[in-house]
Amino acid sequence: MRTRNSVVAGVLALPLALTGCSAFGVGGGDDEGGAVTLTFQSLAFQDTTIAATQEIVDAWNEANPDVQVELVQGSWDNVHDQLVTQFQGGTAPDVIHDESADIMGFAEQGYLADLAPHLSDEVTAAVSEDVWKSVTTGDGAVVAAPTLLQSYVVFANTAAFADAGAALPTGDTLPWDDFQSLAAQLTAGETYGVGWGLQQPTATVMNLSLGFDGTYFTGTGADAAIEVGDAELAVPERIHAMAYDDASLDPVSLTQSGSDVLPGFFDGKYAMYVAGNYIAQQITESAPEGFEWAVLPPLAGTAGAVQAANPQTMSVAAESEHVEEAAAFIDFFMQADHQAALAQGDWLIPASGEARAAVAEQTAGENGWEAILASGEGLSAAPFQSAVDYPQWKDQYATPALQQYLADEITLDQLRDQLTDGWSELG
Amino acid sequence: MSAVRSRRREGRDAWLLVLPALLPVMLFSVYPLVYGVLLGFTDAAAGLGVETHFNGLDNYVELAGNELFWKSFKIGLVWAFSVTILQFLASLGLALLLNLDLRLRWLARTLALIPWAMPPVIIAIMWQLMLNPSYGPVNRALDAIGLPGGVNWLGEAAVALPVVIVVGVWAGMPQTTVTLLAGLQSVPAELNEAAAIDGASTWRRFWHVTLPALRPIITAITTLDLIWNFNSFALVFVLTAGGPGGTTMLPSLFAYNEAFRYGHFGYAAAMGNVMVVLIGAFLILYLRAQSRRRFQ
Amino acid sequence: MTTLARTSAVGRSRIARPLQYLALLAYMCFLAFPLLFLLTTAFKTPRELQSPDAGILPERLDWTNFTAAIDKADLFTAAGNSLLVAVTTTAIVTAVALPAAYALVRFRTRLRAFATGWILLSQVFPFILIIIPLFLLLKDIGLVNTLLGLVLVYAVWSLPFSLWMLQGYVAAIPVELEEASAVDGAGRLKTLARIVLPLLAPGLVATSLFTFINSWNEFFFALVLIQDPDMQTLPLALARFVGAEGQVQLGQLAAAALLACLPSLVFFLLIQKRLTAGLLSGAVKG
Repeated sequence: MRTRNSVVAGVLALPLALTGCSAFGVGGGDDEGGAVTLTFQSLAFQDTTIAATQEIVDAWNEANPDVQVELVQGSWDNVHDQLVTQFQGGTAPDVIHDESADIMGFAEQGYLADLAPHLSDEVTAAVSEDVWKSVTTGDGAVVAAPTLLQSYVVFANTAAFADAGAALPTGDTLPWDDFQSLAAQLTAGETYGVGWGLQQPTATVMNLSLGFDGTYFTGTGADAAIEVGDAELAVPERIHAMAYDDASLDPVSLTQSGSDVLPGFFDGKYAMYVAGNYIAQQITESAPEGFEWAVLPPLAGTAGAVQAANPQTMSVAAESEHVEEAAAFIDFFMQADHQAALAQGDWLIPASGEARAAVAEQTAGENGWEAILASGEGLSAAPFQSAVDYPQWKDQYATPALQQYLADEITLDQLRDQLTDGWSELG
Repeated sequence: MSAVRSRRREGRDAWLLVLPALLPVMLFSVYPLVYGVLLGFTDAAAGLGVETHFNGLDNYVELAGNELFWKSFKIGLVWAFSVTILQFLASLGLALLLNLDLRLRWLARTLALIPWAMPPVIIAIMWQLMLNPSYGPVNRALDAIGLPGGVNWLGEAAVALPVVIVVGVWAGMPQTTVTLLAGLQSVPAELNEAAAIDGASTWRRFWHVTLPALRPIITAITTLDLIWNFNSFALVFVLTAGGPGGTTMLPSLFAYNEAFRYGHFGYAAAMGNVMVVLIGAFLILYLRAQSRRRFQ
Repeated sequence: MTTLARTSAVGRSRIARPLQYLALLAYMCFLAFPLLFLLTTAFKTPRELQSPDAGILPERLDWTNFTAAIDKADLFTAAGNSLLVAVTTTAIVTAVALPAAYALVRFRTRLRAFATGWILLSQVFPFILIIIPLFLLLKDIGLVNTLLGLVLVYAVWSLPFSLWMLQGYVAAIPVELEEASAVDGAGRLKTLARIVLPLLAPGLVATSLFTFINSWNEFFFALVLIQDPDMQTLPLALARFVGAEGQVQLGQLAAAALLACLPSLVFFLLIQKRLTAGLLSGAVKG
């Protein structure tokens, strides 16, 4: 009996004894002696961007001994879930790196501080009004500084163009009609004109629809109402026609992710490849020897080469104890030379016009940069970005419906009905 | 020693042996669980300074009319039962083989563990590459042996769920195999030997000696497998995220979206409660039936 | 007796044996191919990985992915943290679950109903919905950003499985064996140590392996609990190689994943012998 009791006591004491063990990281608080320490969670992914971010933070820390920034590395894949939990517990980082599509929900829930009073005029002026709109809530609070933007661009295999006797399109924009006829012209035998990874179709379709004035929603916030007309359906309809009427777009690629389709582009299976402009980085890094490629002018619908802007963002947690200091750091982070360096690391488009000019100069427009930067001019806020139930509608109705339509399982009318009925289901 | 006194002493011994588990369990498991269950009767939602109120059965009334949830529940049942049954059969076969005195058994046992030891991120990425319709090794191999190799495994609504089920079986096999293997080793060898001397065939010995002796372990692991599979989240989340067209939307994915993406914590917890009640009811019936068999 | 049974079995299975090897080989191909995949991928350059014509084997043994991965994600620190967490968790769970499982099976008390209810509830209720209350709790007792917090959570949430399975293994041991030993005059502790423990060894190996691997691989809770880069566990480090919208640094990820899954495999290689209970005949004579 006695033995057993002491065994039990020992087992009970084990976890308690561990509490004292510093190996587990308990205790050991770091007192900085009066200085403010801000946590900054960065999502930088490419090695060059990680290095550039570190440099900016180091420069800040050197210049501001009283406000030290501690860099924490997060990842795009999980940042949303991490923030949901941390906001609940009040332990979110002071400075939060994310994207507009994700943070507007958090802003609506009151978790993000209004930066408008803290940002310098210089930074405010450098970014277009249209892009600021994508980070402004219904009641006018600016909940983030927009940093880098992506656009959807058409990559071309120039050798395939030459083989098919097609001229590389020049000009400021590439109208959808031209894009479609080019695709048909480039389709022959085993080669499709276009490969397009649309496994998650909603964001791409919504963003490009703006080029046809397809806004999907009217009104903002909780009052947003859906409207799915011809303008909204123009993009899916055209993609569908290319896949099933012209057979100039590989329907299999529509069910894959962008990176799944890339090997087919390298292999010459697709003459053109539509993807986020940042894929240019992957192409320069991993294309086979001698692979010749170019970025075509931005796709234009009836309303011009317009796409919805979904910038990466820098925000401050509303519950941060040092909102002002954190906003000052963001202001520093937004400086044109900093943004230019980050943009080149990630092959993204700076929201700041000044930084765009710097990138154009530093890259001399090579490796597709000219066309990529040009596509950045047409980026604008879209109404769907401020519709409160948009994420739920996107997951539960829009994505399955678009997937089915692009797999030729439902008709255009059914697509329209599912999109509209889904929204009223949520209302 | 009277029966009553021995009974009471046994009760006290049991408490002493269970006690070390009890305290941390109460704090870190029972408390959050109760919290989670209660949340299912509130309107809790994400937001700074948002107040939470009990709203009785409102969530359940709303849930009853949520077609998408029930569709996902059905998918969950198909998935959980298919994976559990296939997993059990495949693992039993492997466990029996690994229990034999074969050469290189140590190596085979270790290799059999690979799907389990792999970080989940890698598993999903790897299967996506394997199943790539144009360049994946699976389709290439099918092509090479003359079978139609053009199937778009994860992208076609009709095949996505069966394919995900195969990956699910693959991912869960090591746990079930190791568990059954350990169970086979606990079957006292004497029983088998006695039967062998009586001249029973291998098959009869397996059916009449090994299997009955293994029954408690089979019950335990199939029960857990069923629950885990029903609640399975990470694998399908990264493989298909519920697509194409919602055909692989498992109920836990659904509840996850409700809580983490739309911030409806109360409603999501209500979904959890519904899953607990329905799956729990089934399990109780199953466990009852199994324990009755054991005592017969 | 053992030899007799074995020879007769072998005698009967002259045809069966090659078939058994064949079946085992098929199983291995199905289960173990990822190791081959990781090995070849980890040595390929980004260009080779994207090339549709590349062979299965890398062109040459190129270690850059390994060095780059180790540099980038500080894998050794992360591995150290993971090892500390996984080993401690496994030790706690085993120490707690073994006596508890025995008690729950052998003594029929009210505890048993409670334990069964809790075990099932804890497994059936989606863990994803528990994360937030659990996180709030750990925050309140000051365990955010600590490995101790991880250990406690992993231990408590691995316990139901271990308890549940160990109950199965205990129930599979005929009570007669224990009673025989008691009749011989052995005390309960002695019976436990000499009869029950050896018979339970394979079950203990299986359950502790479960705890070890699950703590080693757990991602979601570590993601929300750990912020400090020095505290991160391996799965967090691996997430560094995956970017937005399906961008992956595949070569480095494969290299890192290979390094990450080796410890589990080596651990199992060392203990898998214990899955063979060669101690049975001794137990009966005792």
